[in-house]
Amino acid sequence: MEKIFKEAIENEAILATRRHFLNTLGTGIGSLALGSALWNCQTSDKSQNSAFKIPPHFGKAKSVIFLHMAGAPSQLELFDYKPVLAKFDGKECPKELIEGKKFAFIRGIPNLLGPKAKFSQHGKSGHWISDHMPHLATQSDKITFLKGMYTDQFNHAPAQLLMHTGSARLGRPSLGSWVSYGLGSENENLPGFMVLASGGKNPDAGKSAWGSGFLPSVYQGVQCRSAGEPVLFIQNPDGVNADIRKASIETINSVNEETFKEFGDPETVARIAQYEMAYKMQSSVPEVMNISKEPEYIHQLYGTKPGEEAFANNCLLARKMVEQGVRFVQLFDWGWDSHGTSKSGSVDWGLHQKCLETDRAISALLIDLEQRGLLDETLVVWGGEFGRTPMQENREGKTQDYFGRDHHTDAFTMWLAGGGIKPGFSFGETDELGYATVNGKTSIYDLQATILHCLGFNHEEFTFPFQGRSFRLTDVYGKVIKPILA
Amino acid sequence: MKAYILFAVMFLGGIWTYFHFSSGPTYTVDYSTQVKPIINKNCISCHGGVKKQAGFSLLFQEEALGKTKSGKPAIIPGQPENSSFIQRLHSKNPEEKMPYQRPSLTKEEVDILTTWVKEGARWGEHWAYQALKEPSIPSGHWWSRALAFIGIKSGWEANEIDYFVGAEQKKQGLGHAEKASKPDLLRRLYLDLTGLPPTAAEYQEFEADASNNAYEKQVDKLLKSPHFGEKWASMWMDLARYADTKGYEKDDARTIWKYRDYVISAFNQNKPYDLFLKEQLAGDLFPNPTESDYVATAFHRNTTNNDEGGTEDEEFRTAAILDRVNTTWEVLQGTSFGCVQCHSHPYDPIRHEEYYKFMAFFNNSRDEDIPDDSPYYRHFKQQDQGKLDSLKNYLLAQPKQIQKEWTQTLRFVEPKIHPHWADQFVNGALADNKYLAVRNGGSLRFKAVPLMGKTSLLIAGKNSGPAPTYVTIHQGTKTGPIVTRLKLDTTLQEKYAKPKGLWSKGWAYAFYKIPALPGKQDLVWEFTNAKTKPDQNTVSIGFWMMIPEVPANLKPTDFQKIAYQIISASPETTTPVMLENPTEFTRTTRLFKRGSWLNPGEEMTRGIPALFSKKPVSNRLELAEWMGGKENPLTARVAVNRFWEQLFGTGIVETLEDMGSQGLAPVNQGLLDHLAYQFQYKFKYQTKDLLKYIVMSASYQQSSIVSEKDREKDPYNRYITRGPRIRLNPEQLRDQALLWSGILSTKLGGASVMPDQPDGIWNAPYSGMQWEKSDGEDQWRRSLYTYWRRSSPYPTMVSFDAGTRDVCLSRRIRTNTPMQALNTLNDPVFIEASQFFARKYPITGAEFIKKGYLDLFGKPISENKLAKLHAFYVNMLSYYSKNNNETLAFLKLCPDNNVPKDPAILVAKTLVANALFNIDESINKP
Repeated sequence: MEKIFKEAIENEAILATRRHFLNTLGTGIGSLALGSALWNCQTSDKSQNSAFKIPPHFGKAKSVIFLHMAGAPSQLELFDYKPVLAKFDGKECPKELIEGKKFAFIRGIPNLLGPKAKFSQHGKSGHWISDHMPHLATQSDKITFLKGMYTDQFNHAPAQLLMHTGSARLGRPSLGSWVSYGLGSENENLPGFMVLASGGKNPDAGKSAWGSGFLPSVYQGVQCRSAGEPVLFIQNPDGVNADIRKASIETINSVNEETFKEFGDPETVARIAQYEMAYKMQSSVPEVMNISKEPEYIHQLYGTKPGEEAFANNCLLARKMVEQGVRFVQLFDWGWDSHGTSKSGSVDWGLHQKCLETDRAISALLIDLEQRGLLDETLVVWGGEFGRTPMQENREGKTQDYFGRDHHTDAFTMWLAGGGIKPGFSFGETDELGYATVNGKTSIYDLQATILHCLGFNHEEFTFPFQGRSFRLTDVYGKVIKPILA
Repeated sequence: MKAYILFAVMFLGGIWTYFHFSSGPTYTVDYSTQVKPIINKNCISCHGGVKKQAGFSLLFQEEALGKTKSGKPAIIPGQPENSSFIQRLHSKNPEEKMPYQRPSLTKEEVDILTTWVKEGARWGEHWAYQALKEPSIPSGHWWSRALAFIGIKSGWEANEIDYFVGAEQKKQGLGHAEKASKPDLLRRLYLDLTGLPPTAAEYQEFEADASNNAYEKQVDKLLKSPHFGEKWASMWMDLARYADTKGYEKDDARTIWKYRDYVISAFNQNKPYDLFLKEQLAGDLFPNPTESDYVATAFHRNTTNNDEGGTEDEEFRTAAILDRVNTTWEVLQGTSFGCVQCHSHPYDPIRHEEYYKFMAFFNNSRDEDIPDDSPYYRHFKQQDQGKLDSLKNYLLAQPKQIQKEWTQTLRFVEPKIHPHWADQFVNGALADNKYLAVRNGGSLRFKAVPLMGKTSLLIAGKNSGPAPTYVTIHQGTKTGPIVTRLKLDTTLQEKYAKPKGLWSKGWAYAFYKIPALPGKQDLVWEFTNAKTKPDQNTVSIGFWMMIPEVPANLKPTDFQKIAYQIISASPETTTPVMLENPTEFTRTTRLFKRGSWLNPGEEMTRGIPALFSKKPVSNRLELAEWMGGKENPLTARVAVNRFWEQLFGTGIVETLEDMGSQGLAPVNQGLLDHLAYQFQYKFKYQTKDLLKYIVMSASYQQSSIVSEKDREKDPYNRYITRGPRIRLNPEQLRDQALLWSGILSTKLGGASVMPDQPDGIWNAPYSGMQWEKSDGEDQWRRSLYTYWRRSSPYPTMVSFDAGTRDVCLSRRIRTNTPMQALNTLNDPVFIEASQFFARKYPITGAEFIKKGYLDLFGKPISENKLAKLHAFYVNMLSYYSKNNNETLAFLKLCPDNNVPKDPAILVAKTLVANALFNIDESINKP
């Protein structure tokens, strides 16, 4: 029996290009992307006209943790300090700024709104960070800010899609899918791309924000759940313990071995491997998802709340996953859409609440990655899908009951830290009112190109053929932001 | 007699030999198969549809042979030595050498290009763009054909398909497999034609039927089954990107399930495929469209809508139109068209402007990214339908144009003027981007709205604050002459029923008379309501429209009264449909420079790319007729390729979405063209006839057991060396489990249902939608009917490669992942089904396993497999007998909470059933 099996596995290797839909489409990545088997990649290049080749050596980063504050946090209350804006608080917005502009909710001529937070400088880098983020302020020197971000989408769903898939329309593969497609997972018992959501809601873009688009579905993000089983269907039914499941999978596989003798179908062998892997995942996933065994000082550091849906828990999980070899961990935290239509949606009290929920955990993540020697090879990205206006929102022309800002495309702030990034640096600058970027303009595509670069990919060469053309994450745009590279 | 046969055979053989060796003179190099691939790979990215370096492009013949920037042509037919196209391949100067700064071509490639130029640089057309001709049938063994001709069957071939398959196998040095066993064949046939496996009784029936045509009887029976339509509709749903929600952000509900019913019934009726396409593309433009014709057009209303506050409706309307263009080409024509949106096709001779000429066919439908999915067909309650019919009688004597106008008003309440038409807001706004909200003294303008002298006005609105609000309508500007002054009173809400639609709930319909104004007018609406507070809105307005004039001779009748009742009637349900704009609403289509809708260029008239048709085609209906007509080289090829893929797992052209020069070449073009020709001309596009033809072939009926040699040489079964052993799709996997356990509902058609789904899957922001588990048999309906929410489709669909239906999906790329294993092992649906299955059998132990396996697969279980499953059973029984708590914990899943007499036996049987549902025999078709 063992011999048959060995043979079959050899056959499998011969058929490593079995995913010929990839191969014959002219790229020769079939062997790399061995869609059928596991999350892992094999590096063998059998094709001569390979459009894309796996990076010859890894970039400085081996994995990414992307912290997406869904709804778009206000840069003007967090990192983009604008004392001049404070001076003009309550004054009418200069007409030339808004002429011909379209906003999601602002109508007519709105008033300017000064920063609703206190700013001070931190660390050697002298970054301006507001008192909403006291913990992060202590990590100032690890961070590089991108203060000149801009986008062309002022609605949540399309803007999130653009950020994560390179297109504001539905249907393209997400950044994490591209990365796991290109690099696979370092741990064959865990998916290469995992998604954690907090804040009570999924992001506006839905599952498409971690979808695999036209890449095989094996590369889609696996969403971890904060309630119930950690990953869908990973838990056995009540009354079925791990030993029982093991016995059942062994039975299924032994019957399938018989079937293999009969039909000789290599797909049967792949299925046997997948059932084995499923069993391994049943222990490896809950293990990585279980934070209760972490030492007390770690819980202190992150401010975790075991058993609850909490951003802090997800930060700790992200660290554990990266430690276990997951390539791309995508966090979404919902509730940053501070229009000022409610108290919780205000840029003072409401935004502060969101910061209370996240600030400590984010700084803990940076500290924890560093103390484990993982920060150098983990790229941490923080940001929203767009920025917020320097003007007070006046939805339907009314005065709002709370301080709030509308969606803004012309300027916002993101930051990066860790693998491949220069620490304690700042790139890009906005005008005195924080309305528009005046230098260091950075597009979403530039950011994506830079993330791929840190992982060792040339974003222009990392393509997948679909519908008659080679698609890439960055479409036909994007250039690596060289000044921020370490 | 024998001698006579021999003579006949020799004679026929002679004819064959004659034709075989007497084909005309051939050139040594063929453009499409030899030259074009080299050009696509090495040249076209700089000399094609995107870039034309040095004024040289190889995309169109006239450009390739025309003058370049240097002033002379790069290709001079017959003279490779004078053609810089060839000479530069040899150049040592890096500035001149081609491909520029890239590795040189191989000697073989250079030879092909050189010979090609020498032979006159004959242009050729890509195979898929050449007219469909009936290919001659390969001979196989000529004596076997000859014998077949006189009625003696000597080879394995059952019909012409097998001659094509056989010829290709012979060429590749491959063979074919034995015929599949009866049970395997039956399971395959059932799954392929109806999507459901056979029941135990159905296996027995087939096994017991010893007649020669036993198999054909089964085929005919299944083609008549109502489940046939369900299986093929399930395929079509991916192509139509069918979903029950609108896509973006809150991803709210859309009611469009009647379209799915239409597709099911079209397949069940064996509706000719050309008519099927015609109805879907242009049913609304038929001379007298029926309800079904309109519903069919929902095909292109399955595009996503963006309701998010602050979105630009025109942007997403345009996105939907582009999607309709791309889907039409990808799904119906197997041509990647999306790239032509930004520039000429990089590889195939299709020009940039041709994209927009084609878009012009779709750019004049009434839909405008409106949250309620207007325009929609209103399916009336019986009494309202009766009233409508009575009105139609009134209209019979009226001119056609008036009949049409009234019919559209009564059926669709169109053409609506939507709030996004308004501009120049004063003290008012487009609230949440959806409706007009204006305060006391506020105003807004409707620019150039078509009034066309009509005098009846309908407003769908309501007072947000105290009633009434007065609307003063000015002509031209705010200071222009007053047209009328209207009183908006919410009490009207009680008088007229509310129209359907999530957001439009609560609109009251009010009818007014206004003085006639000709043509299009700028209107300024001013709102006054002294009772409202300064920051309170006076009214909200959902839409307004002009109602046609009541014909003079109908004025004395109660026509108008009944008409207004019908307009205000609340329908039973609605379906978004295509509806062409009336002339006065017509949109101009412009080319988008670099593909951006914000950058419009010249005006475009409707037309089909010159590559495909030289005839003028002026509207969607003519477009649809062209699609099924003789001139179109693609429709039948694309269709048969897709049906073949459904049965064999891979298309004859693997890239279902692209038959262009960047797609893969057909592995057996003769077979593809033969099938396409038969489909179009012999079967008159009738799908059932085509499918019967394919499943009756010996190729289809092969066993999937294959010789080692053939597997090695044909690992993916591209040459059909064996039967198609491929994984079931998620719909089939779930349906099969439900059928086996005896709980599958066989109800046909209807609205989508919500089976059991783990909590927390639906979690879209700003959405009140809840997954409410359906009751009774509705929770066990076929997966085709499972509610499809784009932002979070049903989990089994997600893990088994079904996509999200945001855009069309030409084929599902099959993967094999641990998530799939976990799904079929642990999903409560599969556990529940296993338990129902276990309960069906009063027997236990080995008897249960033997009988269960026999019932599922129609054949006895092998000794080895039985031994393994039995050992597991014994092990489980012993464990659960000793661990009563776990037994009871497991049985909590029991649907009726009836603890059986021997609970441990039930658990052991259920776990065995769970294993049976997961073995390879279950996951695959044999």
